[in-house]
Amino acid sequence: MPAVKQTVDHVESLERYQHGFITTVDQEFAPKGLSADTVRFISAKKQEPEWMLEWRLAAYERWLAMDEPDWAKVSFPKIDYQDSYYYAAPKEKIGPMSLDEVDPEILATYAKLGIPLREQEVLAGVQGAPKYAVDAVFDSVSVVTTFKKELAAVGVIFCSFSEAVREHPELVRKYLGTVVPASDNYFACLNSAVFSDGSFVYVPPGVRCPMELSTYFRINAAESGQFERTLIIADEGAYVSYLEGCTAPMRDENQLHAAVVELVTLDDAEIKYSTVQNWYPGDPETGKGGIYNFVTKRADCRGDRSKVSWTQVETGSAITWKYPSCVLRGKDSVGEFYSIAITNGRQQADTGTKMIHLGEGTRSRIISKGISAGKSSNTYRGLVSAHPKAKGARNFTQCDSLLIGKTCAAHTVPYIEARNGQSVFEHEATTTRLSDDQLFYVMQRGLSQEEAVQLLVNGFVKDVLQELPMEFAVEAQKLVAISLEGSVG
Amino acid sequence: MTLSLALEARDLSQLPSRRDEDWRWTDLRGLIRELPAPSPEVTAEISPGPFGDEGEAELLVVNGRVRGDAGLLTLAEGEARVVRLRFVSATAATGHGVKLAVSLAPGAQLTLLESYEGLAPDYLADAALGVRLETGARLERIVLAGDHAEGVSVSTASVSLAPGADFAQTVLTDGARRQRLETRVEHPGQSAAVRMDGAYLVADRRHADLTTAVNHAGTDGTTDQLVKGVVADQGRGVFQGRITVSPGADRTDARMGHHALLLSDRAEVNAKPELLIFADDVACAHGNTVGALDEDALFYAQQRGIPEAEARAMLTEAFIGEVIDRIVHEGAREVARAWAAHRRVG
Repeated sequence: MPAVKQTVDHVESLERYQHGFITTVDQEFAPKGLSADTVRFISAKKQEPEWMLEWRLAAYERWLAMDEPDWAKVSFPKIDYQDSYYYAAPKEKIGPMSLDEVDPEILATYAKLGIPLREQEVLAGVQGAPKYAVDAVFDSVSVVTTFKKELAAVGVIFCSFSEAVREHPELVRKYLGTVVPASDNYFACLNSAVFSDGSFVYVPPGVRCPMELSTYFRINAAESGQFERTLIIADEGAYVSYLEGCTAPMRDENQLHAAVVELVTLDDAEIKYSTVQNWYPGDPETGKGGIYNFVTKRADCRGDRSKVSWTQVETGSAITWKYPSCVLRGKDSVGEFYSIAITNGRQQADTGTKMIHLGEGTRSRIISKGISAGKSSNTYRGLVSAHPKAKGARNFTQCDSLLIGKTCAAHTVPYIEARNGQSVFEHEATTTRLSDDQLFYVMQRGLSQEEAVQLLVNGFVKDVLQELPMEFAVEAQKLVAISLEGSVG
Repeated sequence: MTLSLALEARDLSQLPSRRDEDWRWTDLRGLIRELPAPSPEVTAEISPGPFGDEGEAELLVVNGRVRGDAGLLTLAEGEARVVRLRFVSATAATGHGVKLAVSLAPGAQLTLLESYEGLAPDYLADAALGVRLETGARLERIVLAGDHAEGVSVSTASVSLAPGADFAQTVLTDGARRQRLETRVEHPGQSAAVRMDGAYLVADRRHADLTTAVNHAGTDGTTDQLVKGVVADQGRGVFQGRITVSPGADRTDARMGHHALLLSDRAEVNAKPELLIFADDVACAHGNTVGALDEDALFYAQQRGIPEAEARAMLTEAFIGEVIDRIVHEGAREVARAWAAHRRVG
């Protein structure tokens, strides 16, 4: 089994957090703190049209009237929203640029992270290896987007969000905020006011996007937050697979990452959205530092027979608080959610999904695998609901939790709301620890305890890893191993 | 935030609302616009309850007032008895609450045949039971909630167990205008055993809420839970079950199952089966299904010449029967079976 071999091979080379370095680059910031002026500053920096600024300011006004939610099973000191920078960008000109104009330090950063920004590097890979286009977001701005020309040839628009606002305002205005309204929740509202960059994808009718699209988010600046916004539209009969990765330096302070992702699928369209989240999780001993990952992700399956599949591997962040959801509006639309959430050290995760069945014959599937180790806490929270009109709705949910060690916690909090007599919902959940028998068996074959744990954990999460695109599956597997380092013995 | 606080303080703002996480599906504040007058004392004879003359003694509570000897619920070491405990709401448009203690000394055994009887509409009734079981004590609690369709009723049992105690309950209800039957168990582990079953058969516009919370505080405890529901018309069934395994409560074995049938297009089932686990050497699982009657089984029965309506009734009865079969007290089991058959819904 290659998956197992890969893990074992990497055990030797493990480091606690490999992406914790800081890039020294000249940056400019918005004045510290949050006010209407900060919002205007960001909008001006992005050279946005008036309507965009108004939209942001309206969101900011609403945000002021909202209270920070406290229902998740996570605890953290109160966030001082005035003690952070809401905009940080490398000192370069804004907008699309060629790679030669990008600060070499930033290029070196991405090289170190293993993200190919030079198209020829991707091409120089193994013959027949799949291509994938990258939008690289560094703090508050997108530094480069690759393969744009090749994608444009088939009509696919893939660019940074700021560019989309300038170049394709009709599409942005039509869809922005229609899946996650500005006032949806506290963090989405904050994002709507101060979002800086992110990716925009539009796949025209009948087009199957010829390559994987991906965005790589990097927080670099200190005392700053990242508020990106992603909008993906798959028009009728279109297909796109989108990958998202993220890392941050190791810092003693907590940094806020409050993103919003909106997906729209029209008739017969499909979006596959995969995330490998590896923000800095904070110091495993003291719990100091790390990213607060408070993200709103939602897909609106508007079209009949449309499909959205979320796959996430959550290994990083001090606190994760996110529920990638599907609103299954179109007849016979399908939503899927595959998740691996791993917490170690003092990490806290409250994550899951919402499957909201509104249309007839809608189907959804949820597979969630939670692994807790160290002194961490890992909660699956999910909602499955069927509207009276969602005749023939079906859901299958399976959430399994694995506990490694005596000081961690694993919770399962599903909500099931059935409002018609023709829907069928099934849910099952188990909580176990690694079986002594299995460990003994594997160790008897000559593996160390740590290797044995990784082998068994890989088996535990296999169902979800299979759903990831190949490049990500390999990365995810390594991550699983790294995240659990030092969790036994 | 409880109904009992609201009744005592005569303060509507003490009522739980949808914003309280534990009451999100059973909203009282949105329903009750004003508190009714306190219920009067009733001295009239009350006819026999659903358990008839099963058991040896009866404790009657009418409009929140205890008639008879509340000492029936206190059992000395080694004592054993079967008691009918009847909560009767007899007066329309009034409100009342009552608190009772059940106490079992080491080795005592009590079978509690508990009933809720609504004789008039529009009442607000609150009942709180405090239950304590010492080592080796055993309580089987069988609850038949027969509230009035227009009544609002909340019953809360807080159970605390000593090591080696055995607590088993089966709660059966057909709902009310709004009704909640809640059980909270402090489980010490150490060979104490808990079984917490329930069934709701809800039709018309009735609402039934079965809520349970078990906290495993020590090692080697077991909890076994099976709850089933059948909802027809515009009925609404709610199940909230929480199993917590505290740090150090190793070798806990906790299993929870909730299965519901929806028999109409406007019926509603809301469920929240929760596991909160703070210890690693545990075996915990829950399963939850919501769906319609099995069309294949229905077809099979009809093929054998059983009319559709009867086939449906048979299948729902068999579905609920699994819960009733687990009742240990034979007389109560038969009463429960008859009750379920009589309340066929759909």
